[in-house]
Amino acid sequence: MNYFQLFNIETSFDVDLQQLSSNYQTLQKAVHPDKFAHASEQEQRIAVQKSAHINDAYQTLKSPLQRAQYILVLRGVEMPNEQHSFQDISFLMRQMELREMLEEIRHSSDVDAALLEVQSVLSTEYLQLSKMMRAQISENNAASNSAACDNLRKLKFYQKLNVEVDRLEDSLFED
Amino acid sequence: MAYSEKVIDHYENPRNVGSMDKNDPSVATGMVGAPACGDVMKLQLKISDDGIIEDAKFKTYGCGSAIASSSLVTEWVKGKSIEEAGEIKNTAIAEELALPPVKIHCSILAEDAIKAAIADYKNKQGK
Repeated sequence: MNYFQLFNIETSFDVDLQQLSSNYQTLQKAVHPDKFAHASEQEQRIAVQKSAHINDAYQTLKSPLQRAQYILVLRGVEMPNEQHSFQDISFLMRQMELREMLEEIRHSSDVDAALLEVQSVLSTEYLQLSKMMRAQISENNAASNSAACDNLRKLKFYQKLNVEVDRLEDSLFED
Repeated sequence: MAYSEKVIDHYENPRNVGSMDKNDPSVATGMVGAPACGDVMKLQLKISDDGIIEDAKFKTYGCGSAIASSSLVTEWVKGKSIEEAGEIKNTAIAEELALPPVKIHCSILAEDAIKAAIADYKNKQGK
């Protein structure tokens, strides 16, 4: 049973997050330790394992990038090894620029405005790639799946940038 | 996670940080990225007419191991021919810096950066 089947939802990139969350709670209730307080040790252990499995599934489907990756893997698309380096020059040049922009925020005369600008640039570019990936996933043929993989890898660079932005924001505004 | 002394040394005193003009025909630029961790590495080599690497610069956004790997590589490639530089293996980088298994991909990235720079050079030279 795959994660989508576990939550009884359609295998699709478009997931109703509210429904996902409510199905998650229902599933977790069924395996809650309180219910197994008087059960055998083996039954308790199985319940704990099920709960962990449900949790993994939920975390995977909740995150758009993990969900995309999961769908592509379900389709048997060969994901490029994460250890393999990525060599799309113009994309990487852009990544360099964005990291330089991020670095300069600290030295900006108006830190708030500079931070907002970078956040808005990042979210625009993320959204563009994410829209493309969504269309490619729904198209579902060999070429579009492989293109979706490529965009997924690119989105991971933006995900990392967003983490860096959050970290910077914390360090700038902590007292 | 504990970094080795060599990693810390390169991280705190990175060698050859900077940029060269990527449009200069004698400058080779290698850009590589690691989707798993979002690291981006740029390695630039200034190559003489007889194929010797005269200078090297890098700019890396990533963890300490990625910065140390690229810093070390700039030291290693200087004075080497492009053929010799192309033979530098990630295992040698990882060994020199005593990288733990989870950071091996940083040394792979540095090896790939050299290869990408050499490919860029050959492309520029039309060979």
